[in-house]
Amino acid sequence: MADARLKSEVGERRPVDRNPIRAWFDVRRDRLGMWAFALNRLTGLGLTLYLFIHLGVLFLLSRGPEAWDNFLQLAKSPFYLLLDVVLIFGLLFHGLNGIRVGLVGMGVAVRNHRSLFWVLIGIGAVLFAVAVYLVFTI
Amino acid sequence: MAEFHALIIGGGGTGGALAHDLALRGLRVTLVERGEVTSGTTGRHHGLLHSGARYAVKDHESAIECIEENTILRKIAPGTFEENDGLFVAVTEEDVEYGNLLIEGCAECDIPTERLTPEQAWALEPNLSPNLIMAVRVPDATMDAMRMPLRFFATAIKNGAVIKTYTEVLDVIKEGGTVRGVRVRDHTSGKEYEIGADIVINAAGPWCGRIADMVGVEVPIRPSPGVMLAVRGRLCNMVINRMTPAGDGDIIVPQRGLSVIGTSSWVVDDPDDLGLPEDHIQTMYSEGAMMVPLVRKAEFRAAWAAARPLIGPRRADADTGRELSRTFKCFDHADEGVEGFVTITGGKATTLRGMAEAAADVVVQKLGLDAPCRTREVELLPFEAYYAIPG
Amino acid sequence: MTTTDVVTKEITFRVYRYKQGDASPHYDTFKVPCDEWTTVLVALQAIRRDNDPSLTLRHSCHHASCGTCAMIINGREELACVVTVLDLGTDVVTVEPLHNIPLISDLVVDMVPFYEVLNQADRPYVRRSEFMPEAKPPGGIDFYTRYENCIECGACVSACPIKGTSEEYYGPAALAAAWRVIEEPRGRDPKAALDWVDTPDGCWRCHVAYECTEACPSGVEPAEKIMALRRALTRQKLGRLFGRRD
Repeated sequence: MADARLKSEVGERRPVDRNPIRAWFDVRRDRLGMWAFALNRLTGLGLTLYLFIHLGVLFLLSRGPEAWDNFLQLAKSPFYLLLDVVLIFGLLFHGLNGIRVGLVGMGVAVRNHRSLFWVLIGIGAVLFAVAVYLVFTI
Repeated sequence: MAEFHALIIGGGGTGGALAHDLALRGLRVTLVERGEVTSGTTGRHHGLLHSGARYAVKDHESAIECIEENTILRKIAPGTFEENDGLFVAVTEEDVEYGNLLIEGCAECDIPTERLTPEQAWALEPNLSPNLIMAVRVPDATMDAMRMPLRFFATAIKNGAVIKTYTEVLDVIKEGGTVRGVRVRDHTSGKEYEIGADIVINAAGPWCGRIADMVGVEVPIRPSPGVMLAVRGRLCNMVINRMTPAGDGDIIVPQRGLSVIGTSSWVVDDPDDLGLPEDHIQTMYSEGAMMVPLVRKAEFRAAWAAARPLIGPRRADADTGRELSRTFKCFDHADEGVEGFVTITGGKATTLRGMAEAAADVVVQKLGLDAPCRTREVELLPFEAYYAIPG
Repeated sequence: MTTTDVVTKEITFRVYRYKQGDASPHYDTFKVPCDEWTTVLVALQAIRRDNDPSLTLRHSCHHASCGTCAMIINGREELACVVTVLDLGTDVVTVEPLHNIPLISDLVVDMVPFYEVLNQADRPYVRRSEFMPEAKPPGGIDFYTRYENCIECGACVSACPIKGTSEEYYGPAALAAAWRVIEEPRGRDPKAALDWVDTPDGCWRCHVAYECTEACPSGVEPAEKIMALRRALTRQKLGRLFGRRD
């Protein structure tokens, strides 16, 4: 019934432009909730990509000890260690913010979600510092 | 035979109610509006469902119109009003004297009133001025200025009316002395086309004169804008009126979490260029604060102007516009030698259904049909139905 | 009408334009003199009056009560009627229609899909007034009433990153309305409302961005209400797990 009215009144609507880049990363009001969401999406995509890379790397095991040894050389290079740091950041952020999303999403700390964020990120910062130290020293 | 029995120019409350009335009488009716429905004057008023008390002293005709329509609207549009009643408040001795006239006048117009002591009034509305001397309770109510008329549009559409928004009248088509239809542009696409109708009704509010000019007839209205102010905070639940003859800033109407203070009055020629005099905004603050002092400190939300279509001589000298009559009038331009064209103008938001009935009676009579008005009894669809029928 | 010495600045408006049949949208530029009281809405009306009457836009109440003038102003969802142009602080103001809602033309979006979902929440329009709780209503009136905060402007739906990629997600407005039915049933069935949101495309699809609450001009707080729905459902499900009957 509603559609019948609209066609008599106006023509076709321009369909909605569903662009994930615009939708997920437009932090227009510069507020924590959207920053956390955007970073969660980014790290989530990054971690998914990493998963495939990791599986690819493990596949090298099937290629025999020589292929694996070549890889291990690469894995010790500073650039690769840096990537490890990025990975650890992604894991920590996604995991800890994920705890926040899970809690808030069950109705916990709904009005204090910013405080919860900073507490968890504080813990994350400490863990990150320790991890970076270990990555470059072990 | 024309495509439509009736074509209404103007998608305000009057146009919507008229489309509803005519559709109920079984006519093929269409309405053209150059913008969004109620985007002219209708949407911008403070939302008062008039008890008529404001007119009970000097303008009994208006007062009686208001209380009758007030009662009908509550019946045909249930769940659409904040039914908290209203107060007239006296903060000076002059006010009190007027109050006695008010109560008398209301009694003569069958508007129920109740005299209240300041203590009784403060119990109802704690934010009223400490200078309160007495108050009178009246059956005012609050409406959403857009959503209440939207119910008329929704019901009209369901009954077959064709409502065309963003469709602007470029010219009225005349053959000899008879209006045959209109030429319009659909602004959503740029397309121009013609719509034929047996009767064209000019319901364009303050723009009535512009449409009348296209036809070559005279419509005696003057666009009369007023300023309104919205502040944050619902400072009262009831409508608060100042116990004086109509003046600037004499009413506070709650709108959700805001309070709207209105209004003032001047006259313009172009209803699309109203202006916004800053001193009028300050008057809203000061006059509003006379009734509810918290208005003075409340956070600003919006200030705007809306033009009433007041009936009076087109070339009147009256500067403020308040002296002009507040009743509505239906003009059959056959009296000026133009057939097929009628203007309905004047009036208030509260009287939209009554205005529509008067206009519709003229329309069906001109068409030679026997179709009585049914809008007093038929319950309106909810406003959401304008977009999508619920359930 | 008095004219005091008002500060007037000429502001450039970049306005999104689209007519049906166009291959793609474009932006038109207009210069509008603005003073300290000029809102974006008033400026757009001036553009219609002085430059281009074919500009389509929705507006009605001019005081943040009808919700029709919601649009994107300088990248953010706002009600054009309460945004003062000079307060934006930019010489160029960009005006675009809301996201995630089908476009009719220029700044006018089609609210039919919005209401199709919202109507399913079946939330009454009038609620109890919580203002001045110490006040007693006059005789014959049980309690003071007022309209719901939600003015159905669509800003929350436009701001929601999930609505940005999902058509099926109910969206913040409808979910907030469902919570209002549970908070204050007014003769509606709160259990039915809770049931209705308990689907993957209902309250569970929210990802806690809080953009809806940030964008809402009317204090609805949809994000908090969505979490309230989820809290209620979590309790219900845990309760059932431990054998407690609802």
